[in-house]
Amino acid sequence: MFQIKPELSISIPSKTGLLKMVVELVNHIATVNQFSPSESRKIALAVDEAITNVIKHSYKNERNEDIKLEFYFSPKGLKVKIIFTGVPPVLSEVDVNLNRMIKEKKKGGLGVELMRRIMDSVEYQTTGSINTCEMVKWK
Amino acid sequence: MKSFYIRSKVVESTAIIYPKGHLDAHNVERFEKEILKLIGNNNINVVVNCRELNYISSAGMGIIMGYLDEIREKGGDIKLCCVSERVYEIFDLVGFTEIYDFLEDEETAIDKFNN
Repeated sequence: MFQIKPELSISIPSKTGLLKMVVELVNHIATVNQFSPSESRKIALAVDEAITNVIKHSYKNERNEDIKLEFYFSPKGLKVKIIFTGVPPVLSEVDVNLNRMIKEKKKGGLGVELMRRIMDSVEYQTTGSINTCEMVKWK
Repeated sequence: MKSFYIRSKVVESTAIIYPKGHLDAHNVERFEKEILKLIGNNNINVVVNCRELNYISSAGMGIIMGYLDEIREKGGDIKLCCVSERVYEIFDLVGFTEIYDFLEDEETAIDKFNN
């Protein structure tokens, strides 16, 4: 299981220009934690999607809000916790149907699905003004 | 330093778009503008040549998805070619590989429209 304290934490402003840096960092962290190159890239993508959603939906593209990322390592897996304020996330429980989305000319809605397909668990929680997104990937 | 570049060209009746680098929510607007420019010029046969695309998030995939119906309604299509293994596995995660044609090379993709 994971330690109570994160092994690593960083805070970034809510700028999409930092997404590439986060992807590279998470890819590196996952690789160091013995995930395969393919799994590491996917975990990094899941974190990209989670942060993109925070910036877009919770912070409405405001560029100077805070996003904190915490990383928890264990021999059995990796946990990433994203902490933010702003509008609490509302997730659709409806399964993604690509054909329907194409018919409806939708450009969004794939991010959370990608997170769910990549990670073993994705959980959102809101306590007071603090929102968290906790994602776990087991080896 | 820019992490994403985009260019396109039209060969006979097929438009080819070349995304290069890291395509995410930060630079997706430029990708969308390029697609819109091609559609606006009545190009309905579109090939996305991913030879130099290193990364794509749902933001980029959303653009490919969002204009497919409009293009198909006009009798055209969007095809992808030259997709690296690392990018293909992202497309495959959400089922794009069942909806779109993924071709080995640009010539084959263009030929698909001509035949």
